[in-house]
Amino acid sequence: MAMTQKQRILAAARGEKLDKIPFGARIDVWYNYHSAHGTLPEKYKGWGQVDILRDQGAGSQVRLWSVTREEYRDMEVVEKHDPPYIDTEYRTPLGTVTKKEVFDTSEGPWIKYEMEKIFKSEQDYPVIKYLMEHTVPADNFEAYQKVRDEVGEDGMVMTAAGLLWSPVQRVMREIIGYEQFFYELADRPAEVEALIEVMKDLERRKFEVAMGCDLEIFNICGNWSDDIHTPVFRKYFVPWLREACDKLHAHGRLVMVHSDGEMRRLNPLFRETGIDIAEAITPAPQTLVTMAEFRRELGGGVTIWGGIPSVLFEPMYSDDDFDKYVQNMFREMAPGYRFIIGMGDNLPFDGAINRVGRVVELIDRYGTLPVKS
Amino acid sequence: MFNYSLISQAIETGDRDESVRLTNEALRAGMDPPDIIIGGLQAGMGVVGDKYSSGEYFLPDMLMAARAMKTALAVLKPSLAATGVPTIGRVVIGTVTGDMHDVGKNVVATFLGGSGFEVFDLGLNVPDQDFIDEVRERKADILGLSALLTTTMPIMGRIIKGLEEAGLRSGVRVIVGGAPVTQDYANYIGADGYAHDGGKAIRACRQLLGK
Repeated sequence: MAMTQKQRILAAARGEKLDKIPFGARIDVWYNYHSAHGTLPEKYKGWGQVDILRDQGAGSQVRLWSVTREEYRDMEVVEKHDPPYIDTEYRTPLGTVTKKEVFDTSEGPWIKYEMEKIFKSEQDYPVIKYLMEHTVPADNFEAYQKVRDEVGEDGMVMTAAGLLWSPVQRVMREIIGYEQFFYELADRPAEVEALIEVMKDLERRKFEVAMGCDLEIFNICGNWSDDIHTPVFRKYFVPWLREACDKLHAHGRLVMVHSDGEMRRLNPLFRETGIDIAEAITPAPQTLVTMAEFRRELGGGVTIWGGIPSVLFEPMYSDDDFDKYVQNMFREMAPGYRFIIGMGDNLPFDGAINRVGRVVELIDRYGTLPVKS
Repeated sequence: MFNYSLISQAIETGDRDESVRLTNEALRAGMDPPDIIIGGLQAGMGVVGDKYSSGEYFLPDMLMAARAMKTALAVLKPSLAATGVPTIGRVVIGTVTGDMHDVGKNVVATFLGGSGFEVFDLGLNVPDQDFIDEVRERKADILGLSALLTTTMPIMGRIIKGLEEAGLRSGVRVIVGGAPVTQDYANYIGADGYAHDGGKAIRACRQLLGK
């Protein structure tokens, strides 16, 4: 009996031998945009994204924020919705902190962006620590099961135990902001490190809850850029990533990070983490790293998922350019084991959906394993 | 004669206290503030830009250098009231509408500001018309457009068309950047320049102005 898309992706992720390279495509940016604007191709009007990917012959990646959700104890949380903006106040006994987010999937992206970070000044440290200490993880399994049923055996639910980011990444990106983070780390390192520790405790509690579901691959961090993350990676990221990998591996789960940024100077550090899958790998021309360099730098123990930069789906690249790129990618990744083809990181809204099917055709023609270099 | 390379080195290493001390020392020695800026502060930021582009420096190195430069520049401000800060050209910069990412744009703005350009940073999620209005109002030599998302990348081309329709295109050079943006894409949308990072943006902007 033929393997399903999901079985093929999981087998490649575990380093098992397959007959041909699997393909786990991601189209939510394209799908969200065209659904909201009523501009899906005639054939696909009213279809779900998994059905569209089934029609194209590709395995699917479908995003879910998390298999856990956050509840708050001993504080008042006030949310004001003025679409697309969300203002949130956390009123704690130690003081109040606020944030302003924007959330609108109609242009494609599916996550909230903090227009105003929760951290404003050093006065906020004790309040934010209180907020994290009094955050209680609960399961979000009903939402997870719904997406899992939708995807079935045709792909993977891509989600996390806590949030999409590891504790230090959450502090850097969501709580303080990258630039202010480095100023704070220079001026008040003890406060920053204490906040990271509180965030780690929260994430550990989320892992305990998350183990109650059957998710095979846990996304534990992502959205790195080597100019931002390399200086702090070994000290602040590696110990946590190793701890998370040990915990998840002990429960038979695979560990993934969403590596869609510039990875040139991070690749040598990646192998210190124990992570199984580098997903959304985005090579040149969108970054400075070729697929051959990714293969060489990440080593044989990491499964690479990605390889086709989003920009290749843009109309500025002809079908012939696209075919040549994909064929060259096969050669660079030879012999092709521990490789799942995917986008880095999405089909853009003006990208051609039929190129997803084109990748499937090219895999049938050139993606038989082992691939010849 | 004061040794400006000492100030430059203090900027390179992000040593705020030393930058201020040496700037004060140069002032006391009777050096001209514009010379201190060009020979010390901007020279230091130029080296930081080169090291950032080559991969030797990272974001925090740039941030600490920029902070040292700004603090030293504040020391010079009272002396510059009459002459002003010497500038190479005027740059209007921002992240296009619908895009909430600004780290890369901030890096470019910081490097340009630290290298002698007068920078008008419009922030993130900037409407098309605001770019066009600011180019007109500021008499900008360069418009810098940033997009991190493939969904917002095409907006840069739309703004270039908007400049054409407003009759402003011939008077301003457009440089683009952001994670998904490539030189090919810059050519495709009709931009004049492309920079992969903040350090390269300094050189690209100088080249665009022939300076």
